[in-house]
Amino acid sequence: MDVLSSLSQLFEFNTLWTIALGTLGGLIIGALPGLTATMGVALLIPMTFGMAPVVGLNMLIGIYIGGIYGGCVSSILLRTPGTPASAATVLDGYPMAQRGEAGKALGMATIASMIGGLFAAIILATLAPQLASIALEFGAPEYFALALFGLTIIASLSGDLLKGAISGLLGILVSCVGADPITGVLRYTFGFSGFASGFAFTPALIGLFALSEVFTQMERLGKSEIPIRNVSGRWPSRSDMRESRGALVRGSIIGTIIGIIPGTGSGTASWIAYNEARRSSRHPEKFGTGYAPGIAATESANNAVCAAALIPLLALGIPGDVVTAVLMGGLMIQGLAPGPMLFQTNPDVIIGIFGGTFIATIFMFIFGMALIPVFSRILLIPRQMLTMTIVIFCFIGSFAINLNPVDLYTMVGFGVLGWGMHKFGFSQAALCIALILGPMMEANLRRGLLQSGDNLVTFASGPITLLFLSLTVLSLGWPMVSRLKQRRRNHIKSPE
Amino acid sequence: MNKKLIMAAALLSATLSTEALAFPDRPIQIIVPYAAGGGTDLSIRLFAESFERNIEGSTMVVRNQPGGGGSIGTSGALFPRPDGYTLGTGAQGPLALLPHLGGTPYTIDDVEFIGLFGRNLQVLVSCKDAPFSNFDEFLEYSKTKAAQIGNSGAGGANHISAEAFAKAAKIKIESVPFGGSSEARTACVGGHIDAMVASPAEALGQVEAGNVSVLFVMEPERIDLFPDAPTAVEKGIDFTWSSWKGVIAPKGIPAEELAFLRDAVKTTVADDEFQKKMEEMGEFVIYEGPEQYEARARADSETAEAVIRDLGMYGMNN
Repeated sequence: MDVLSSLSQLFEFNTLWTIALGTLGGLIIGALPGLTATMGVALLIPMTFGMAPVVGLNMLIGIYIGGIYGGCVSSILLRTPGTPASAATVLDGYPMAQRGEAGKALGMATIASMIGGLFAAIILATLAPQLASIALEFGAPEYFALALFGLTIIASLSGDLLKGAISGLLGILVSCVGADPITGVLRYTFGFSGFASGFAFTPALIGLFALSEVFTQMERLGKSEIPIRNVSGRWPSRSDMRESRGALVRGSIIGTIIGIIPGTGSGTASWIAYNEARRSSRHPEKFGTGYAPGIAATESANNAVCAAALIPLLALGIPGDVVTAVLMGGLMIQGLAPGPMLFQTNPDVIIGIFGGTFIATIFMFIFGMALIPVFSRILLIPRQMLTMTIVIFCFIGSFAINLNPVDLYTMVGFGVLGWGMHKFGFSQAALCIALILGPMMEANLRRGLLQSGDNLVTFASGPITLLFLSLTVLSLGWPMVSRLKQRRRNHIKSPE
Repeated sequence: MNKKLIMAAALLSATLSTEALAFPDRPIQIIVPYAAGGGTDLSIRLFAESFERNIEGSTMVVRNQPGGGGSIGTSGALFPRPDGYTLGTGAQGPLALLPHLGGTPYTIDDVEFIGLFGRNLQVLVSCKDAPFSNFDEFLEYSKTKAAQIGNSGAGGANHISAEAFAKAAKIKIESVPFGGSSEARTACVGGHIDAMVASPAEALGQVEAGNVSVLFVMEPERIDLFPDAPTAVEKGIDFTWSSWKGVIAPKGIPAEELAFLRDAVKTTVADDEFQKKMEEMGEFVIYEGPEQYEARARADSETAEAVIRDLGMYGMNN
């Protein structure tokens, strides 16, 4: 009865309308490069001051869910990750769009986002208190091991292992710029105050993927006319869905787990999901060439993170990522202290948020599917004009985040770097992963050493640490083992 | 001829009247040196809303300029044209702490204080499974071992206040820096550190849940939220600390505009709805005039300088 009355408030016209508006707004914010879900939520919090708690919070959750989904649109169509969460979607989404399957790629992304989102929402509504404790198990050694495991993706992503390693190490080096995480000393700023907080992540990403692609396109434009591609369709074929089944399941589960671990976020989740989908696929060689399961993995993972990040926030009062940290501010303005007591003191709010997460995910699916033809028509714009428009968006997006001119230099610098890397066969994705995971690995390595009095054993104790370390070894060793097997099999087949 | 004269006179009076138009005749920009959505940002947004409501015909635009622990936005607010149209958020970290670490283009002497509108009370909490759960146990433990105290960033307000307490209480602590207060809180609730500095509102939910307990309050007197928690002062340690925020501006604003802004801030803070919203957010609203505000900032700056010198962090970023 109580649950029903708490749920019925969601179906009032006002609430539904606000959630729909939030989701659509988030979708657009996410689709525009540079405008991230975090920003959308942060800037719209003041609007919720006057709303009832459930209405206001669900609008913010709508923006969050819509925003993380919306990022895939520009990733697929323009090779510009709309938000850092969908950087990994570029790998298979953009090649599909290049092949004329933009509609199908977007459809796959939308379906995957819904599946991941609903999966995590179900977990949120049923197992939040039980699972939330995972969040508390993570100390410095656990984070370090997780980051190390994440970095092994680099090895499997890059065809050329040496070049992949160089890209990854370059990423780690670049992420060292700015304040030292433990002592606060400024490093590699060369006395330039603009570098004091390091390179801003989103502008770096925009430069790395979008601006560099513009440069590559420009080279091609000079040589020949690029044909306009067919963009029709929105539903993935039955065989696409069948092949993506494993990727969707893995993506949803990985996204949910990573979402619960505080401070990791949807960028990490989508890269790990991509790698796992690829490793377990029967056609790993197809990943990166425009293969639907690649999109299915990343998009189901990053949308699963949204609902999953709410688990530690609501159950423990600990935000799972940056957006939920901002949401926590929203809760506190409503006079609600997030924490385990919220379940007892305000069950109506908790149930309202559970329900709102489902509704926002469904709205996201409806809007996403309905807008695919509109979005993919972007590709019908003549290349010359589209390229210039992307350049403008690169600049606006990078500047809009912090209104900091240094971010523009960052974007252009990474654009040139990305173009050069692409030209000489270095993996931009490897650099991107290192930018995400490098700082996490360094800060936790140093914090762990500080806390244990420089005892390295701390990084090899505890079940979670050991689990991730063995996954790391497996992840690095498996390709070698399977190659050996392959060679032996070939050897037996053709004895010469 | 006559017509032209009238026209000219009308034009002249029109330009004159715009010149004489009362300050502010265009939007006032207030810079927040942190990203949108944080505690300081939200309170400035509430402040701007109240400002527009109370100061007739005014518009206040909030501009986020994060980076460098707040130093980038703060210098942005201290060195524009001093016409009263660009204001800044005068927060403790960037004004009283960062200049001692070095690398900031400003010092506290470059600040024109307009008015303080809020303080953040601080408490020290013991974390889950910590070997102590009240003030006396904490001091007893600290005689033999250095407790690991989490903070939200090296050289930040939490770090300095924990070290300043250790200095006043003559104990040893081991500061463990995290990337922001929510990371530190996660580690605290998970039992990965022994204690951390927190705001009462932040701590309340976890105290109610029994995950953490308040060791002491960094105020001269006990607070209503945790009436059982002692102050350091009553335990015989001369130590109080709170972080604060107010409105600042560059030096050199014409006296009339400056007086207007100072009055406006006072009116804005007195607004009931502003106070109510701030309190719901766990902020402690208090108005302090420019002299009091400046005195508070300078006193904290001196305390911080001594601690930072002891830590060997003085001028490290020059």
